[in-house]
Amino acid sequence: MAHDWQPDFEQLVDEHQSMVFSLAWRMTGDRGLAEEIAQDVFLELDRHLGKMESAAHACFWLRRVAMSRSADALRRRRVRCTDLWVEIDEHHGIRMEERSSPLGARLEELLATLPEPQRAALVLRYQEDLTPEEIAATLEAPLATVKSHLQRGLKLLRAKAADGLKEYVRVKEQARGI
Amino acid sequence: MEFEAMEEFERELRQALERRPAPPGLKRRLMEKRRARQPHSTVWLRLAASIALAAVLGGAAEWRHQEERRKGEEARRQVLTALRITNHALNQMNAQLAAHSRNAQE
Repeated sequence: MAHDWQPDFEQLVDEHQSMVFSLAWRMTGDRGLAEEIAQDVFLELDRHLGKMESAAHACFWLRRVAMSRSADALRRRRVRCTDLWVEIDEHHGIRMEERSSPLGARLEELLATLPEPQRAALVLRYQEDLTPEEIAATLEAPLATVKSHLQRGLKLLRAKAADGLKEYVRVKEQARGI
Repeated sequence: MEFEAMEEFERELRQALERRPAPPGLKRRLMEKRRARQPHSTVWLRLAASIALAAVLGGAAEWRHQEERRKGEEARRQVLTALRITNHALNQMNAQLAAHSRNAQE
């Protein structure tokens, strides 16, 4: 069946630049690299624009290519997870006050220390609100593997976060004026 | 209790992982890159169009040349035919004149 949807490149950029950039940033931990990846992803979309069948297809395609390009960039740069956020603060000057909350900032830092497959699954689950089935399709991975990454990643992240929980509670209570 | 704590943690994580706005100017830089790529392909398109146009013009010129040559041949043939007819008529006239002269002498 012929589809009526006509892709508009500029509109797709407007709608999805935040998603593509955020995925690349959270996967690579490097703001500059994330912007490069986002540009590459959209330029590739431009080359494949005629193959996009619907807005949902374009969105799915962008997510998949953004994740794949981020993984490629990580492999090329051989960045160690534990260095990611140090690199951000040193080279890209992201200040704490730009982040949503102290816990949010801490969770992002801790997320960057997770193994790449777990990080990918968690980013797609909690940033993009995808179901495990959708994550499996995006990452082209078996559903059981994705579920395992989600479970282990969440458990590991929570364990790491618990270490700093007392500090978080103290800061939050101060913010509330308790 | 544990379930609630996990739900709370997931809620915090979802909040922490909200999409971040793209850097200002990302779209502008992207569109510039896109435009910079396009002339490259336009050059090839223009080159292909020029070659096609040259081929069409060359074909038309050759066809015109052949057509003129054909018309020239046709005209030459007609002139030769006319000359042959004239020659034939003159020969007949000569023969009649010669016969007439012989008759007059007799």
